[in-house]
Amino acid sequence: MALLEVRDVHVAMGAQEILRGISLEVPERAIVAVLGGNGVGKTTLMRAISGIYGIKSGEIRFDGREIGNAKSHEIVRLGLAQAPEGRQIFGTMTVRENLQLGGIAIPPGETAALLDKSLELFPVLKARLTQKAGSLSGGEQQMLCIARALMAKPKLLLLDEPSLGLAPKVVKLIFDLVKRIRDEGATILIVEQNAKAALKVADTAYVVEGGKIAVSGPAADLARDQRVIDAYLGGHAKGH
Amino acid sequence: MPDFFDAYFAQQIINGLSLGLVYALVAIGFTLIFGILNVVNFAHGEIYTVGAFAGLLLIVGAAPPLLAVVLFAMAVGAAAGVGLERLAFRPIRRFSDEASLKSRAMREATLLSSLAVSIVTRELMVHFFSGEMQVIPQAALLQEVIAVGPLTLTNGNLFIFGASVVMLGGLQFMLYRTRVGLSIRAVSNNVLGARHVGIDTNRTIVATFAIGSALGAAAGILVGLYNGNIFPYMGFAPGVKAFVAMVMGGLSSIPGAVISALLLGVSESVATDFISAGWKDMIAYGLLVVTLIFFPQGLFGHGRERV
Ligand SMILES: Nc1ncnc2c1ncn2[C@@H]1O[C@H](COP(=O)(O)OP(=O)(O)OP(=O)(O)O)[C@@H](O)[C@H]1O
Ligand SMILES: [Mg+2]
Repeated sequence: MALLEVRDVHVAMGAQEILRGISLEVPERAIVAVLGGNGVGKTTLMRAISGIYGIKSGEIRFDGREIGNAKSHEIVRLGLAQAPEGRQIFGTMTVRENLQLGGIAIPPGETAALLDKSLELFPVLKARLTQKAGSLSGGEQQMLCIARALMAKPKLLLLDEPSLGLAPKVVKLIFDLVKRIRDEGATILIVEQNAKAALKVADTAYVVEGGKIAVSGPAADLARDQRVIDAYLGGHAKGH
Repeated sequence: MPDFFDAYFAQQIINGLSLGLVYALVAIGFTLIFGILNVVNFAHGEIYTVGAFAGLLLIVGAAPPLLAVVLFAMAVGAAAGVGLERLAFRPIRRFSDEASLKSRAMREATLLSSLAVSIVTRELMVHFFSGEMQVIPQAALLQEVIAVGPLTLTNGNLFIFGASVVMLGGLQFMLYRTRVGLSIRAVSNNVLGARHVGIDTNRTIVATFAIGSALGAAAGILVGLYNGNIFPYMGFAPGVKAFVAMVMGGLSSIPGAVISALLLGVSESVATDFISAGWKDMIAYGLLVVTLIFFPQGLFGHGRERV
């Protein structure tokens, strides 16, 4: 049984249906990518999984439990954390406070060890612990955002466009870290516009169009799929 | 300059600081709630009054030590704050995503719902206690004179100083060193981020109302015993002053609100030398207007720094 199973999920905002029957599976210790153009519903899906939005119908099972309409704070406690779109860090608070808040859902006794572990993965943050998070560079903020999510000791880590707006070198660094986080035992569901980079690290991938899954399969196959190449890889990614 | 003038002036400063500390305690409640919800809680002045009445009832019923009276007033204030949140704020907060939590519609609706709760509460107090000043047992009054050199302080001055400093220090500790405090600051800073790290935003909002209201209620009973009068309309003036302090402080800065409140208290106290007491409320309005014209971000504002 997969760690996360999303079955025929519908999400509506007012009268507008944004997710129209999405299904996907994230097996334990896998990296699963969700691709798709702007406004197709990727972030809505991530928010529905994290309990930020309620779902209209369908089911979301995490670690054997139905979480389709659980509250966001309950879901974090079950071991599902997200580095959300736009980072959503606490800009007026210090880097250390941001990380402490990342661990707010776990017992206080465990946070010190987790903080050490996060800082080991993201050494740039170490020198900046007392700095206001809002004064970090874009790349540093993204690292803080991921480190903050890791403070919740997640079994499943959701990443919503972690490479957005970052220089290629930083993008590579982030994807290397994603692999490392998986290798250390977490499972990852990642939304990306940078399909090329995402397909390189992912095991499986799903392409969303109009609130539904249009294509899915092993990442290596998708990287060779002509429709995916035309739509998301700029039409000239053969040979990868 | 004759010696006595300096002493007199020092006396006015001391009285002004006591007054300012009381405004500060009330302003903190406004500021915390504004920080977390972007709304003005119009019923905050009534919390102050409720605190004063709760304290008075306990004094009349049991004549306990002063500290117990203040703690009781704070507990009742906190409970009233929680009730207020349930009645006037939560029902309007139907969606809890970031867009609607601080939306304009939400702001306008809660403006009215908190005003409604404030009016009903005040009229209920008038109904049960009459609009008259309540008689406070002599023993409970904080008007015992203590001469320090040429200055005449009362035990009320000292108690207000002591209690306010302890409460302000406790608040700062709570906001910066405890999980509840971190959560309050996080929700104030970024609601969506707060939900993503697993903060229960509703519970945090309730905690904010409880803490802010406890401080407001403490101010109510302290002033009641210091001035010797408790009546259903007593919350109005300090509510306005605290509101002014919040605006002067930059809307969601606690240090800003506290400093502004002290400034306001001292200005009022010193100004009674120059203008008749009936006009002293004009100071607050004057400062408000000056702030809004010349410092629209507040006197200390970088503007958006919350809590
Ligand atoms: N709270 C909301 N209220 C109304 N409409 C919304 C809301 N959230 C999302 N939408 C709409 O739902 C659609 C999908 O949005 P979503 O953010 O999920 O897209 P996305 O795939 O993440 O896009 P992008 O790649 O640009 O981030 C969009 O048309 C958006 O306008
Ligand atoms: Mg998105």
